[in-house]
Amino acid sequence: MSALLEVSNVSRKFGALMAVNNVSFSVGQGELLGLIGPNGAGKSTLYNLIAGVLPPTAGEIVFDGQKVTGWKPYDVARVGIGRTFQIPKPYRQLSVVENVMLTAFLREKSTADARKLAEATLDDVGLADYFGTPVNALTVGLLKRLEVARALAMQPKLVLFDEIMAGLTPTEVGVMTKFVAGLPARGITVVWVEHVLYAIMKTATRMIVLNRGELIAEGFPVALARDPAVVKAYLGEEMDFA
Amino acid sequence: MSVAETQAPEKTRRFQILPQRGKVSLFEILLLLFCIALVAVRLPPSMGDVLLLTFLFAGLGLAWNIAGGYAGLISFGHAAFFGVGAYTSTILFVHFNVTPWIGIWCGALLAGLFGAVLALVCARLRGPFFILSTLAFAEVVRIGALNWSSLTGGPEGLSIPPIPSLINMVFTSKTTYAALMLGYLVVVYAISKALEASRYGYYLLAIRDNEDAASAAGVNPLQGRVAAMALSASLTGIGGSLFAQYFLYLDPTFVISPEISFQFALLPAVGGLGTAIGPVLGSLLITPLSELLRSNLGNAAAGLHLVIYSAGLIVVMLYFPGGLAGAIAKLKRWRPFS
Repeated sequence: MSALLEVSNVSRKFGALMAVNNVSFSVGQGELLGLIGPNGAGKSTLYNLIAGVLPPTAGEIVFDGQKVTGWKPYDVARVGIGRTFQIPKPYRQLSVVENVMLTAFLREKSTADARKLAEATLDDVGLADYFGTPVNALTVGLLKRLEVARALAMQPKLVLFDEIMAGLTPTEVGVMTKFVAGLPARGITVVWVEHVLYAIMKTATRMIVLNRGELIAEGFPVALARDPAVVKAYLGEEMDFA
Repeated sequence: MSVAETQAPEKTRRFQILPQRGKVSLFEILLLLFCIALVAVRLPPSMGDVLLLTFLFAGLGLAWNIAGGYAGLISFGHAAFFGVGAYTSTILFVHFNVTPWIGIWCGALLAGLFGAVLALVCARLRGPFFILSTLAFAEVVRIGALNWSSLTGGPEGLSIPPIPSLINMVFTSKTTYAALMLGYLVVVYAISKALEASRYGYYLLAIRDNEDAASAAGVNPLQGRVAAMALSASLTGIGGSLFAQYFLYLDPTFVISPEISFQFALLPAVGGLGTAIGPVLGSLLITPLSELLRSNLGNAAAGLHLVIYSAGLIVVMLYFPGGLAGAIAKLKRWRPFS
């Protein structure tokens, strides 16, 4: 398995705060990598570094053989990294299908082709009944699915999912989990940040854990759940009641 | 689910009755025929003036709408581009004897350049800060025109010799001017419609609605803003040249005034921002209203026409926030017999 994304010794400082501190990991072609960590661990910052929203203060990011460190978001998107936003950022004045068309335009130049691709993608995530609906009429769960559709309509090689399960009902989580699990088979490598742990534990082929900007553990989901460092990061230290 | 169901029949309909983004509708064709008829019938001379100004300002409102409506670059400085276009073609004609038919394109090019520069200078500004900068930009251009007397004639202005001929683009008949302005309107309208249907037009909407999301979708926001402003400015410049050929006199304080800038922004705002039909409806309502009020009440009660005009605007803004185009879109859902 060759590495599609290679993150080496990446750091990001905000003033005196090390939001991401010397983090290295790689994602292989066709992998489904889970990225977890408590609030404030630096997951979203790490995403912003990879997606080009922020330049790293140190380190290097290589995607598909190209050095993309410090690139602008639109250039990163063009070489094939799609992303969702933790807080959905739809185009409020456009309809659902138009929202997805706007990422489909990255691959399809004509409006008709982009519409076709957008409709197929929406069909895929189960939004086939909402093509003409104004975005403002969507529930949180549907908005999250729209985010996923937008990331996929640009036909990325790698997609960065950021908490696409938050606010979903258990049924919706089940459906979405199955959907995400099927993506690697379609040639889309996935990195997935999620707080709904049972969903990601079941699906991810490998996981990495971030805490206070540092990578504290890496491995298979089941082993990680028993890792003392991970348990400590999430639940705190065991107390002695004696 | 219910939302999706009510919209389902629309997809099957081949031909649109009411205006819709990127498609030609029956409403637009009828409106065009109506405008052609207005040009063809012989109106009294005073009405002729109103008619051609209505067409011209509809075109100018559409040009403004490309930046202000689609791309969200609300500008109160478009009079600068209007002035650059008007002065370029007029200076070339008066000083260098170049026919306005060529001068117009030079004006468009130069105005486009000014637009691109403005968008680049204001690249990091958003909202009110951007708007204020455009206002200041127009003032800079106006003061520049006032002081560069050797070229622009300064405060005395610049006159185009009223010798009617096709090559001079000066005509005796109001009807010819009306046809010219209608031609301009149709061209700018066609450009707006083509833009709406294209990838590039969608990109502008994306930049307006959410820059981060647009960026993540591979759109370069700055490039989009600069291009939108340049296109809008150069079309405004063409309108400026046409205005100069009709009015035959230019002076900086009149042509590059904030009032003119506000007028460009007002027509789309009343008609419907970010729609092609909006600025046209806005101009059809506002331009005749303001001209007629001015000519009928201007002498009897100075200033009264402005009061009535403003009151009308407030009513439209209050009750039709989506503009006239928004009100028409609502008709779609109006079911009087069910």
